[in-house]
Amino acid sequence: MTSTLKGITLKGSAELVAEFFSFGINSILYQRGIYPPETFTRVTHYDMSLQLTTDPKLKNYLTDVVSQLKEWLFECTVQKLVLVITCLETNEVLERWQFDIECDKSAKESSAPREKSIKTIQDEIRSVIRQITATVTFLPLLETPCAFDLLVYTDKDLEVPEKWEESGPQIIDQSEEVRLRSFTTSIHKVNSMVAYKKIDSV
Amino acid sequence: MAEGGDVEWELSKENIQPLRRGRAISALHQALSHSDGATSAINQQRQAFESELRMYDGDDPLDVWDRYIKWTEQTFPQGGRESNLTTLLERAVTRFTEEKKYHNDPRYVDLWIKFAESCPEPLDIYRYMQAQGIGVTQATLYIAWSEEYENHGNFRKADLVYQEGFKKRAEPHDKLLQFHKALQARVSRQVMSNLEEDSDDDEPEQPERVSLADLKHRGKKKTIIPVNRTGPAIRNISGGLQSHRITAVGGASNSRLMIFDENTAQSAGPSEPKLESWVAPPTSRAKENEHQPEKWSDVKMPQKTKFGHTVMAPPPPKPTFQPFVEEAEKPPTMTPCKINPAVNTVLSARKPSKEETPLKRLQEYHQQQKEAESGKAQEQSMYCKELLLNGATEFCFEELRAEHYFKKMAQGSDNVGGQKRDTSPSE
Repeated sequence: MTSTLKGITLKGSAELVAEFFSFGINSILYQRGIYPPETFTRVTHYDMSLQLTTDPKLKNYLTDVVSQLKEWLFECTVQKLVLVITCLETNEVLERWQFDIECDKSAKESSAPREKSIKTIQDEIRSVIRQITATVTFLPLLETPCAFDLLVYTDKDLEVPEKWEESGPQIIDQSEEVRLRSFTTSIHKVNSMVAYKKIDSV
Repeated sequence: MAEGGDVEWELSKENIQPLRRGRAISALHQALSHSDGATSAINQQRQAFESELRMYDGDDPLDVWDRYIKWTEQTFPQGGRESNLTTLLERAVTRFTEEKKYHNDPRYVDLWIKFAESCPEPLDIYRYMQAQGIGVTQATLYIAWSEEYENHGNFRKADLVYQEGFKKRAEPHDKLLQFHKALQARVSRQVMSNLEEDSDDDEPEQPERVSLADLKHRGKKKTIIPVNRTGPAIRNISGGLQSHRITAVGGASNSRLMIFDENTAQSAGPSEPKLESWVAPPTSRAKENEHQPEKWSDVKMPQKTKFGHTVMAPPPPKPTFQPFVEEAEKPPTMTPCKINPAVNTVLSARKPSKEETPLKRLQEYHQQQKEAESGKAQEQSMYCKELLLNGATEFCFEELRAEHYFKKMAQGSDNVGGQKRDTSPSE
């Protein structure tokens, strides 16, 4: 029991990171108003209150994505997760949340747990989510109804699973990029960044 | 970028006013770094804008204002007095009220909307804009106007504003249509959720007794109050807060708060937002709990005598018990605070000034313009007052002269340089 508290294995790390994405994506969808706020419910996790969707379709979709992601994280084949927010009518990309994932592939060979307590990791995760919430201070208001899409960058030789399709990078041209905090489980390191359309003034 | 540099905006996130169009992160970093260099750079930039406002002689003076205001928004994320944003907006908006060519310029209309949002009564401003014909063909006006109504919870008026926009063929039409749809979606969702709530309590609503209501009585000699004390038994008193609620609630429950519905109250009046002539400034909307200033000379204050007893009220009797004071927590003996005679911080009452709203000032300005045109103006300034007071800050003559001088110098050197360049190819 003590070993699980002090160290972290590849499996545990994959689970933690996948859990972060689940909460992170939910927070972004809530904060940016992609789905109406009344379809969210409040839960307490990481010692902070977070919003989770109650929309059954969205829930299913997110669970699917996250469980697939967990697999890839375990195999250390995922490089990036990108959440793209597009305008529903014009399909223009308005915001792009990018999470770069650096996997330490040596963890696949040696099963020895790494020295980092879950608490420290969760503290780091919490500050990332806090920062995601704080971004509303400078992000432009999304005035039109928006849709979102999740892109996952994996290693090239990976087979595309069912229900997934290949897609372009969906880059915003003329964008303003802001780096957010990062966290690491010592096996997976996640760097976060948000890009949004550059305002045409100044 | 290093992580340390990134957290600056996060540390002061509460002090950043969100902007509709977002903020440039570089400007944000610059504004939040409190170094002397940054402040002086900001001051220089502001000065440059101020002089540009005065020296501009192209055919699009609004451009300078537009850039200046946008720059101000980005540079002062906290807003506030220092930024001068409201003054700037007001000046800009006032400056071009006479220029018909700007009236439906999207930039100008945007300035008006920003100005309205900074005013206490945005609805008045929107009505004024409509009456003056400013932005009547711009979709943004109707969107902002409708949102304001929506914030007040007046969905019907919000919808009417869109109808007006469609009638005026406001552009861009798509945008107007889209926002109108969004409004309808929001309203219908709200209605739906209300319906759901209502269907939750299935049982027919029992008329409930209203607390503290006056009851009707029967009989002339001996008044008898009816046994059934709900609904029609309650007497309607004219005036008073309670009566409204009772009439509105009727037999419904008194446990739920009734919300005043402007729609039903005003349904008798004309449904369209009507054009007002705006000769006189709009009277401020009746506010509750607002005390008019009144004479205080008749009011008697309880006077103190030498011994410190009040004359009006008898001194409170001494407590018959000794309040227990913990030994460790004995408060330090208080010495009466002596006022340092050198520092005279006595506050004197400010003379009651005229209550000025931005709209009133605007109308006054308008009035003055008209008077000036008809030659009735009482005052005529024999100096370029306009130029000195143009921007957010005041310029002095010397500054203006210096600007002219520098401009001439720059032109002179340009010409010399140009000649040189002209001659060089022939050599």
